[in-house]
Amino acid sequence: MPRILFFALGLIGLVALPHALSFSQQEILVFLVINVLLVASYRLLTLTGEWSLGHVVIMGVGAYASALFSKNLGIYVPFAMLLGGMTSALLAVLLSFPLFRMKGFYFLIGSFAAGEIIRLLWKRFRDPFGGAKGIKGIEPMPDFSIGVYEFDFFEPISYYYMSGAVVVFCLWILWRIERSPVGLTFHAVHWQDKLAEASGVNLRAYRTLAFSIASGFAGLSGALLAHYVGTINPNSFDVEVMVFVLTWAIVGGTATFYGPILGCVVLTILNEIVLRELGFEQMRPLIYGAIMILSILFMPKGLESIVQRLTRRTPVAAPREKVAE
Amino acid sequence: MLDLLAQTSLNAVYAASYISLIAVGLVLIFGVMGVINFAHGELFMLGAYAVVALYADMQLPFLMAVAAGLLFVGLLGLVMERTLFRPLKDNPLGGLVASIGLLMILQALAVLGFGVRMEHVPPVTQEVIAFSDKVRLPLARLYVIVAAVLLLTGLWYFLKRTRFGWALRASAQDPEAAALQGISITQTARIAMFIGAALAGVAGALTAPLVSVNPHMGHSVIVTAFIVIIVGGVGSLEGAVIASVVYAFVHTFVTTLYDGVIADIVGLSLMLLVLIVRPTGLFGSADRA
Amino acid sequence: MTKFLEIRGLTMRFGGLLAVDNLSFTVEHGQIHGLIGPNGAGKTTTFNMISGFYKPTSGKVLLRGEDISGLKTHEVARRGVVRTFQHSTLFAELTVLENALVGTHMPFRPNIFAAIIGWDKEDRIGAEARAREALEFFGLEHLAQERAGDLSHGHQRALGMAVAYASHPDVILLDEPFTGMNPEETRRMMGLMRALRDNGITLLLVEHDMQAIMGLCDTITCMSFGKFLAEGGPAEIRNHPAVIEAYLGGARHVA
Repeated sequence: MPRILFFALGLIGLVALPHALSFSQQEILVFLVINVLLVASYRLLTLTGEWSLGHVVIMGVGAYASALFSKNLGIYVPFAMLLGGMTSALLAVLLSFPLFRMKGFYFLIGSFAAGEIIRLLWKRFRDPFGGAKGIKGIEPMPDFSIGVYEFDFFEPISYYYMSGAVVVFCLWILWRIERSPVGLTFHAVHWQDKLAEASGVNLRAYRTLAFSIASGFAGLSGALLAHYVGTINPNSFDVEVMVFVLTWAIVGGTATFYGPILGCVVLTILNEIVLRELGFEQMRPLIYGAIMILSILFMPKGLESIVQRLTRRTPVAAPREKVAE
Repeated sequence: MLDLLAQTSLNAVYAASYISLIAVGLVLIFGVMGVINFAHGELFMLGAYAVVALYADMQLPFLMAVAAGLLFVGLLGLVMERTLFRPLKDNPLGGLVASIGLLMILQALAVLGFGVRMEHVPPVTQEVIAFSDKVRLPLARLYVIVAAVLLLTGLWYFLKRTRFGWALRASAQDPEAAALQGISITQTARIAMFIGAALAGVAGALTAPLVSVNPHMGHSVIVTAFIVIIVGGVGSLEGAVIASVVYAFVHTFVTTLYDGVIADIVGLSLMLLVLIVRPTGLFGSADRA
Repeated sequence: MTKFLEIRGLTMRFGGLLAVDNLSFTVEHGQIHGLIGPNGAGKTTTFNMISGFYKPTSGKVLLRGEDISGLKTHEVARRGVVRTFQHSTLFAELTVLENALVGTHMPFRPNIFAAIIGWDKEDRIGAEARAREALEFFGLEHLAQERAGDLSHGHQRALGMAVAYASHPDVILLDEPFTGMNPEETRRMMGLMRALRDNGITLLLVEHDMQAIMGLCDTITCMSFGKFLAEGGPAEIRNHPAVIEAYLGGARHVA
């Protein structure tokens, strides 16, 4: 089957990739992998039609939780990461009570306010959040060996393999959800909530479900980040980072599963490799802003629409007729 | 105790004056264009930098610098209307995203032009009105308060008493019906963008000598403005002014009694509470989202 | 004996306006029941209260003796009372088959964990079979892969009913089902409704055009200005003086 061949080649490419890169590029690669999970989780939320401005703070909740679980309670780092993701998901369930009284623009602003409150709480309470300076010296991932490969987490390449495996697994789960009847219901909630409701869909439950799953994966990505960089503070998760996530999603497009991921990868390469190496360091926000504006003006359907035109497959709403295969 | 109360009230009135200028502009733009302008804080920032460039650096008279800031930012509003919001009229998320993009561009331009450091703007006047030993109002603050009252009164007169104002209010309430009445949507959008942006610019210009001017000063401003327009009811100008006063008093008093971070948390919680109880704000009934 | 669907003393007040005033009537199982009245009689408000869109100010909606008034729409739907919409309210971006699959939400409730692991194959096959059955019933099978937004008006209305039918309802509430249809489409739609009734589904339809449903309904309830006016078979209603008066009065207002 050509599809399996395609995936196998992609996998080999991903395994070989870091060996062709410099040390600093390998570090960027780790961030890229973590951000891919972040933006893919964001898409799950947008499936139900809601756009949040608090997603990066939710990511930070996972980072803080995992860092504190491992540091203060001595929990083994991989478990702490999982617990970090669960903390984010749980918080999302709590936040859904106030936030899902709102819709559209009001949800956007409400999620922003909720996120800022959480960030200010980190800032205000030194114990346990470390105040404005945040948490330093977060436990690194313990080294281990799987026979063929020695994981040494001071090397970005090892962290890349570990986080890459985690992210690929998470993407698989997200993809399965989207292609399932649950995913179809998310679409239904988005396009015609009244009709979905009349078909017996509990709108609140499905919105909350999408929000908490998306938040759980965002929290996990935050935990992966925290144990890699070793230091987190409230500004690691501020609105500027949220703007990046938003840009990835918009530039890539949100009609397909791969759209936001594509946007994240393309813009990160452009941002880190091209702009930084060309010495445009100071101009980066400017160019990012310009890309955002130009893409919304001239490419409102995102990069994915170009890919779709090139590959010429099925219509935008994606084929789900294969459910019974 | 009474002194503290009086002094904090004076501080709150000052804060309310420039917050309401910003919030009213934001509401006006939202009402007519249906777009939440995330770059509104940066318009405020640009107004402040106009004063840095013309008054602090080039030594021009302060009032001339303020007028130039008003005009410059207002014209920028026209450019935004033409290049961003008009083409994205039918894309509800589009205008928002474009304004976030603009936010980043303006911030980066300020960094490139002036550097990230805080700018020092020489005070317009050092005089202080002393009501008592502990209750003092710097004259420079009084100027801001007076200017805000004059501008808002002027705007109120313009909206309620002139044909333009009538057209503006009509298209804010119902764009389609207004179009049927022969009101040019493009024309009213231009006026709304100019006024909305100019108000933010003039607020920045007026307060420049009193705050720390830096390229990222727009952030706290936009957060404040969001809180105010939500509490005031999105789309209601009167609500925005009332909410500015309420917010300024709450924030100033909590800052004085506890600290600034707690005050920010209280402000944001207030907004969340309003959103929970009345998802369209306290005074508003407009639902354009 | 408990009645199948009983509306008892239903009242809805919007501010000072009494939209529906103490309305009572009963829908028998397995019938096509029409709710008619001139414009502004409160039919749609009544409809929205039965389907859970509005919570009545007072009064009850009893389904097999259980009070379902004030329940949320999805809770009403789960008790077997499913509504359709006046306009072509569909998932326009999804395919026809996907629309019908959303309709199978209740009989084949999706489970996220089973979906991830892949243990829901049987449910998915069952849901698709049910969706295709519903499409076939309404003659839409050949359009299964079309985008719902691209269908003709008549097909969109039929799909709206197919979505409702896919959920195995006991009662389908139809809001002005013939609006905007040509005579040929109307005739076909009536045939489908009779077929639904013959499958044991009760239909309650709201219509202001009296002539359209005279030949279709088993029982007709007529209301005017929010109040119950008359009830009976088509022939009875057609000749009922109060009904004629209400409609003529309404016509005078229009003219």
